[in-house]
Amino acid sequence: MRLPRFFSKKRGHRRTGSEVWGSVGEALFHAALVVAGVAFGGLLITGIAVPEWRINHDFLESRGRVVGRGLARHVLDSAAAAEPLWQASIRLRYEAGAEIVEAWAFDGPREAARARALERLDRTRLGDEISCWYDPTRPAYVVLSRGYNWWMWALTLLLPGALLAFGGAGLSRSLGRWGRSEERQAAAGRRPRDPLADGPASSHGHPGVPSCEDLVNSPGTILRYRLPIESPESWNLLGLGLFAALWNAVVVLLAINAGLDLLGGRIDWLLLAVLVPFIVVGIAGVVAFARSLVLATAVGTTQLEISAHPLRPGGTYEALLAQGGSGAFRSLEMSLELEEQATFRQGTDTRTERMVVWKSPLAAWQGLQLAPGTRFEARATIHLPATAMHSFASEHNAVHWRIVIRGRPDRWPAFTRTFPVIVFPQAVGEPAA
Amino acid sequence: MTNLPDPIRPSPSVTVHFCSPERRYGPLESIEVRYAVDLPPGQVARAVERSIVWYTEGKGEEDIGVHLFERLTDRATAETGSFGGRLPASPLSYEGVIVKIRWCVRVRLFFDAGRDFVSEHVFDLGHVPAAAFPFRS
Repeated sequence: MRLPRFFSKKRGHRRTGSEVWGSVGEALFHAALVVAGVAFGGLLITGIAVPEWRINHDFLESRGRVVGRGLARHVLDSAAAAEPLWQASIRLRYEAGAEIVEAWAFDGPREAARARALERLDRTRLGDEISCWYDPTRPAYVVLSRGYNWWMWALTLLLPGALLAFGGAGLSRSLGRWGRSEERQAAAGRRPRDPLADGPASSHGHPGVPSCEDLVNSPGTILRYRLPIESPESWNLLGLGLFAALWNAVVVLLAINAGLDLLGGRIDWLLLAVLVPFIVVGIAGVVAFARSLVLATAVGTTQLEISAHPLRPGGTYEALLAQGGSGAFRSLEMSLELEEQATFRQGTDTRTERMVVWKSPLAAWQGLQLAPGTRFEARATIHLPATAMHSFASEHNAVHWRIVIRGRPDRWPAFTRTFPVIVFPQAVGEPAA
Repeated sequence: MTNLPDPIRPSPSVTVHFCSPERRYGPLESIEVRYAVDLPPGQVARAVERSIVWYTEGKGEEDIGVHLFERLTDRATAETGSFGGRLPASPLSYEGVIVKIRWCVRVRLFFDAGRDFVSEHVFDLGHVPAAAFPFRS
């Protein structure tokens, strides 16, 4: 018998790892979760749920006379320094079948405050006759109340339930994949080998070609469609704004704490030492956000309209560029680009690499002067090569077409704005232009 | 799973004949593949899986899509056969810089004790030229 290899086939620049050992490890991990869930659940059920259920179903009712009162003092062995807990205790004399039994029973919950336990104890007087329930198999075990503690049951079931659900689902998935080829798994639509199931939605009749529904739902003012902008700057701006807000909220909380200390005549030097660099980072965050906001809004909006969509290889299309804002532009360029995108794991990180592999300048304008309230408009012709690759997107890989506008304003840093387009494969029977 | 030659046992060999000798097809064209399995003496395949798939190669994690999949568990019919069908409109074969898309026919043989052997035969779907890098306009 031969053990499976630790490494599998090398593809491209990497070795993919052994699927067999990966599956074994995954199955063992999920099996361990299931075992932990069963063991943990068993302990909780036998320790909490079963005793409570027995009290409500098996214990027999009796009337008992109070013959003694006291406070039970509970101290946890593992927390010697901790404060003890107090619980009212009643000594009862009651009939258990044919015999008379005398035993202690707890009355009410454990209390951290001794006075509260005493207060509860005072509600019962010596000689009072009260209801009680005793264990028929052990008559000296008696309780003063019955019922279910539902939140304790929920807590009891929550953790083992989560372990069993997560582990069981993972184990059944691993067993379902066991011994199945990647083609069989993909054919059955199972993860992890069906990239289109988890990737972007495909166009009808064109597997692997992204849907262009989101790109044709905005009509243009002059041409047929207005293309949505794909702006990484907007996400950076949002990220910087969130960071600045959250960081400075922490700074404010720390500053309030330090201020209250100062008002109380105390100086917490450690808190002050932490506060100073926090304030510096907070100010830097606000400045970075304000700078990005000014850069994003000062240049003016860029709009792009196109005569048809999706595009086809060999096709010719018209595009209309509209640039808003005011002031002088040293240059404004429009180009058509093909970008490849690959997502891969490196250690525990997931990384995405992008590379422009084809670029065609469409139009360029020099020395523009934009007046406030107006916008620069210009048309350009887009011609796609007849043998162009179509747009493609799967779970980890993509080929994107996009129209890119690059501007160099006189007073502001250069900017790049990207408008994605979808290219379908050449229609069958249609001659390449 | 074993998809490389076993250094101890002799490997099976799978011969595949495409209906297009250049192994190049257009979108929505029909493909017909005949295959013959040559098993070393004493080895018997208990099942065979034949499929037409595309997969990605390059810098990213590998993605795979199955266009056609058949599993035969009849030992008598496992050693020769033909299969095929109409190819889809996409994705087309693509030789990019960090993303490549390949189409292939796979014949996977299953032996006793969980061992398997896969034979992969690449063909082209479409006529997209390879991407050049550094890019050209």
